Amino acid sequence: MTDQAPILVILFPLMFAFVTPLLGWWKKDLCYPWVLCGLSLSTIFSIITLKEVLNTGVIHYHLGGWDPPWGIEYVIDHLNSFILVLVASISLLVAIYSKRLVKEENPEKEAYFYTLFLLQVTGFLGIVATGDLFNLYVFLEIASLAGYALIAIGEGQAPFATFRYLVMGTIGACFYLLGVGYLYMVTGSLNMADLSQILPNLYHSKVVMVALIFFLVGVAIKMALFPLHAWLPDAYTYAPSATSALVAPLMTKVSVYVMIRIIYTVFKPYYSIEILPVNLILGWLAVIAILYGVIMALRQVDIKRMFCYILIAEIGYMVGGVGLANRLGLTGAILHIMNDALMITCLFLVAGAVVYKLGGHNINQLRDAFKKMPFSMAAFAVVGLSLIGVPPTCGFFSKWYLILGAIEAENWIFIVALLLSSAINAILFFKIVEIAYYGEASHDHNEDSNGGNTIDEAPVSILIPLGVVALAIILAGIFSGKIVSGIIQFAVPPNL
Amino acid sequence: MFDFIVGKYNYWIYIILMMIGFYAMMSKRNLIKKIIGMNIFQTAIIIFFISIAAKRGATLPILEHAHDGGEHAIEAISYINPLPHVLMLTAIVVMVATLGVALAIVLLIYKKHGTLEEDEILKKIEFQE
Amino acid sequence: MRILSLIIVILTAAVLIYGTLDMPDCANPDTPASQHVSPRYVTRAMEETATHNIVTSVLGDYRGYDTLGETTVIFSAGMACILILRKRRRQ
Repeated sequence: MTDQAPILVILFPLMFAFVTPLLGWWKKDLCYPWVLCGLSLSTIFSIITLKEVLNTGVIHYHLGGWDPPWGIEYVIDHLNSFILVLVASISLLVAIYSKRLVKEENPEKEAYFYTLFLLQVTGFLGIVATGDLFNLYVFLEIASLAGYALIAIGEGQAPFATFRYLVMGTIGACFYLLGVGYLYMVTGSLNMADLSQILPNLYHSKVVMVALIFFLVGVAIKMALFPLHAWLPDAYTYAPSATSALVAPLMTKVSVYVMIRIIYTVFKPYYSIEILPVNLILGWLAVIAILYGVIMALRQVDIKRMFCYILIAEIGYMVGGVGLANRLGLTGAILHIMNDALMITCLFLVAGAVVYKLGGHNINQLRDAFKKMPFSMAAFAVVGLSLIGVPPTCGFFSKWYLILGAIEAENWIFIVALLLSSAINAILFFKIVEIAYYGEASHDHNEDSNGGNTIDEAPVSILIPLGVVALAIILAGIFSGKIVSGIIQFAVPPNL
Repeated sequence: MFDFIVGKYNYWIYIILMMIGFYAMMSKRNLIKKIIGMNIFQTAIIIFFISIAAKRGATLPILEHAHDGGEHAIEAISYINPLPHVLMLTAIVVMVATLGVALAIVLLIYKKHGTLEEDEILKKIEFQE
Repeated sequence: MRILSLIIVILTAAVLIYGTLDMPDCANPDTPASQHVSPRYVTRAMEETATHNIVTSVLGDYRGYDTLGETTVIFSAGMACILILRKRRRQ
């Protein structure tokens, strides 16, 4: 069974997705345990795959038994397997969390919601596992289509926001496909490993350069890097709580992974970094994204929208780390993929709990939230500290590596941006804590707040995932040295 | 110069088509027109891929004399490249699927806002807030 | 807005045209695209997959996993349309 583990990670959510609507017609309540079952199996096999990679090295899995340049292969190395575990386990937690929220926000549609939920996870896992450029495109489209539908059923102007996301997302995916076509034209191959062997002889070609440009622009649209971020805040603000908790942390992280693959695996760093000034452009965009994200976050009164802008700033961290183009910077970026996935998940889980209990996502609705929902707000406090970068939490360590990498690359502006964003995150965090802890000392609300002082916490199905993620943020911080020395140092390309 | 333009004829056409679609996607204010632009954009990519597959003097990738039991040697030069065709079959399916989802979302927008003009929708959203 | 999108379109077109300068001519049988991977499909499809139509044999066998993805795309589009358009039953 363990030789088949790489494909089983993807096949479990896929096959379970095909059965979910049938179960929904028969007995609606079976969908939820069914989804949990599928995602748990996927998580278990992703952990088996990670162990296998740590013990024996890179796994090559040939689909259909055809040898690589002709057939499709899955290449699971340290970077892949690490992100597979991350995606599978976070989606499992979000699935546990979604129970009450789906019933509340989209009654009668649970079966279809969970089908698309599983397809979305399948798409993410397929993108991460594959070693074939065109196969990546197919799974990118599965993830995107499922994502559009899950976002469109949200509240208010969700359909219109989704339409804009769909148009932008299609441009991104088509640019990616165009890049695949350009590379295929001059090399005749679609396999990433094969391409990285052939391409060094073609680095003088203009076609290869244009291919890289289109790859990067396409992926940048999918991850909402600064000038192409406009679709993100609207789409994720109005999406249902369970959707935004799944899509917001994972879609962007998976896109960052694709960017790392293209810059460091398909193209060799000496082409994408030394011949073309990719790192310079990414570095500047990252700085602008970080500053723009945190400043816009400060101006928001809607907590979900605020978290979206924090997400845009966090993407700047990772892209900046990729753009530093040295070992420490890339280590920081990969570590931050994990840490940021945990932090953003936790933020949107808290937002969902607040929406469920307090009925909205305006910042004023958080008044006295610490008294009403002590556990949720404690989890929020952990994320807040991690976003600022207080030592025992994981946010400190990835920032530490990024700053070390920036010192080595002598990129002082990036360091200034990182420190500034920490400071602004601190202001942001204390602004929310002030409202949630002390409430507002206005006289009109005295009568109301007497009734609001009793604990009125979110249900257990929401609190357990929230607690696990908050704990994971602290544990990931405490064990970050082990994660770096055990996994990430092998994930960074050796020739860097 | 003349050879240069004529020799890459398909590529020029695909660039022009793609830019028409791209412009329509970004600047048209009607949502259906945007979707039409999106389709032109995607079709241009299909033309590009199919152009890669072409070989002068070659025929369709369906084997002739196949039932003779392989007595005739099969030469790659006499059949066009099948791989881009395969990729585009998948891409067409993706295109249709995206179109379907886009139209479903447009229907939902129409139910919610009562119009398909972007400016009017934006005005109504502002009015609500 | 119109001016901005026109500028973006012209920029993109310029990049595309720049890339086209180094492309091999159309319908040239000696391009890498026709030399590296695809000859095996043409010459060995019959013995390896027993199908006359090479496109079918690549679609269904060599790159069959992509086709699984393709059908999944259709499935997710169908489910997406149901999820988006289904109305709540009034009680």
